[in-house]
Amino acid sequence: RAMELPTSHFPAARAAAVALGYLRYLRGGPGRGLDLRELRRARRQDVDDVGHKYYLELELEDVLDKDRTVNCTAEVLYHLGSKSRAPDVQVTVQGELRSTEEADQEFYHRIRSLEKELVAENIPDSHGNVPPALQPIHLLAGVASGYLIWQNSTENTKFHLARVKHVKQVKRSDEDLQFDYVVLLHEMVSQEVIPWEVTVLWHPQRGARVSRDQRQPGHTLG
Amino acid sequence: HQVLRIKTKNEEEVKQLQLLESLEHLELDFWINPSARALPVDVRIPAVSVQSVKAFLESQGIEYSILIEDLQDVLDKEKQDMAESAQRQRSSSSFDFGAYHTLDDINQELDQLASEYSFVEKIQIGESYEKRPLYVLKFSTGGTNRPAIWLDAGIHSREWVTQASALWIANKIASDYGTDASITSLLDKMDLFLLPVANPDGFVYTHTSNRMWRKTRSKNPGSVCVGVDPNRNWDAGFGGPGASNKPCSDSYHGPSANSEVEVKSVVDFIKNHGNFKAFLTLHSYSQLLMYPYGYKCTRPDDYAELESLGRSAASSIRSLYGTTFQVGTICKTIYQASGGSIDWSYDNGIKYSFAFELRDTGRYGFLLPANQIIPAAQETWLGLKRILEHVRDKTN
Repeated sequence: RAMELPTSHFPAARAAAVALGYLRYLRGGPGRGLDLRELRRARRQDVDDVGHKYYLELELEDVLDKDRTVNCTAEVLYHLGSKSRAPDVQVTVQGELRSTEEADQEFYHRIRSLEKELVAENIPDSHGNVPPALQPIHLLAGVASGYLIWQNSTENTKFHLARVKHVKQVKRSDEDLQFDYVVLLHEMVSQEVIPWEVTVLWHPQRGARVSRDQRQPGHTLG
Repeated sequence: HQVLRIKTKNEEEVKQLQLLESLEHLELDFWINPSARALPVDVRIPAVSVQSVKAFLESQGIEYSILIEDLQDVLDKEKQDMAESAQRQRSSSSFDFGAYHTLDDINQELDQLASEYSFVEKIQIGESYEKRPLYVLKFSTGGTNRPAIWLDAGIHSREWVTQASALWIANKIASDYGTDASITSLLDKMDLFLLPVANPDGFVYTHTSNRMWRKTRSKNPGSVCVGVDPNRNWDAGFGGPGASNKPCSDSYHGPSANSEVEVKSVVDFIKNHGNFKAFLTLHSYSQLLMYPYGYKCTRPDDYAELESLGRSAASSIRSLYGTTFQVGTICKTIYQASGGSIDWSYDNGIKYSFAFELRDTGRYGFLLPANQIIPAAQETWLGLKRILEHVRDKTN
């Protein structure tokens, strides 16, 4: 019942982007970014009265350690008719992801001990540079964007994080770190670059959680 | 080693720091010494002493912040930057092909190439909306109106790796003529026309105002929104699916086909020339190598040949750094999109029409780090060369 799809065609590629976004949200952090190395296989099943379900086999790479790859399988179900319902996603990672415990602790303590709340903009800069000290902030933006991509994708969209327009740390009385981001998401089909406010809470043991998000109107300057 | 910035609030705290300074076994290196004046005190602390110094400061209630997290990192990076810069300086021209440049710098380098090589000429094929010249480099070793190759980059201004790659490619072609058998035999038979900045107004705008700008900068009557998507403006299924009729959209097709002077100038040039055999265009990002059609999802008549050539070119690309490009029609590979340039060129008799989407696949997207420009250009060039060899062999 499931139809084999060419991995070079866009339907499979769009579903893979959703799966990647979801996985980034679940497993990404200031010390871990995941990228798609290769889409190995894709199948699609049309489920009557429910929607379109994609079965994917993916090879992922660790952004901070390119030699390290991990395989995973994913299922992405786009719901019929509903533009406002997020796709259901399940991902199974085969094997272990590299531990980021040490990097996470270091980042956590570095940010907690900052005298003034961190503020930054335009990551990467126009030339693609990310200062090393801001690399974890960039990766955390990837986690937040992963959530937005998962929640807002349809079969007619393909989102990527284009840039962090602005980020501001907000000190909290509890143990979480909070970052208020404005990210620019590039939507491939319409070619729009969409500003999006998103707040991320992060803790070394508990991981990341998006607590608030709001799409902004129009093109921002810069 | 860390560098801390310490802000003393009173004379007592200054005295504490001076005490710290006197403890030689800590090997503290004060970049700004503690004094009674209200200046911050910057101090480099060897790794082994960092924790105890911080503990001391905290116990005294003295405020500090981390100025440099890891000094070694900074030094390593600086050393690397300088080595890379020196390496680039050593190449034949003093133009840094591994960096992003302004429009003025690019135009200057076009002049440089034209003056350095007798078979390279800079010509102007028109003007942009804001009256900037549209410069094309003509590579010709002789003949009259020889069968020709068209190559353009930067029609979408935010795709900076394309203008940068076009420049590297121009230099590569010029410097390899006479030594590389393939390029030499190609240019001995055919001419090549290269437009490195197809949308100069947009390009300047990405430098001055909005790095994410895609379209031209033409005014849309009755709208506050500026610009038309130049790759929806060609006369190929114009106004059909995959292009917007709204001026504020990033894929706005414009009021009519060829309404954009940047597009019309190329169309007129190619029509007047009358002997183009290939039309190649560079975009980013996604790592795709595509052929017609975009405006409809049916296969072109030359599907088999174009698919085979595309795969061969993708194979050449992959041979260098392992970068994989997907091959296929625009409509199947990326999306249905009307009014695109290679659909127009194909429907106007230019069989070998290909569109490249260069690195990467989304990690940096339009903001590809400059250190990837040359690798991207090198691998793309191998793909282009494969196509050009085929065109050369099939022509004449």
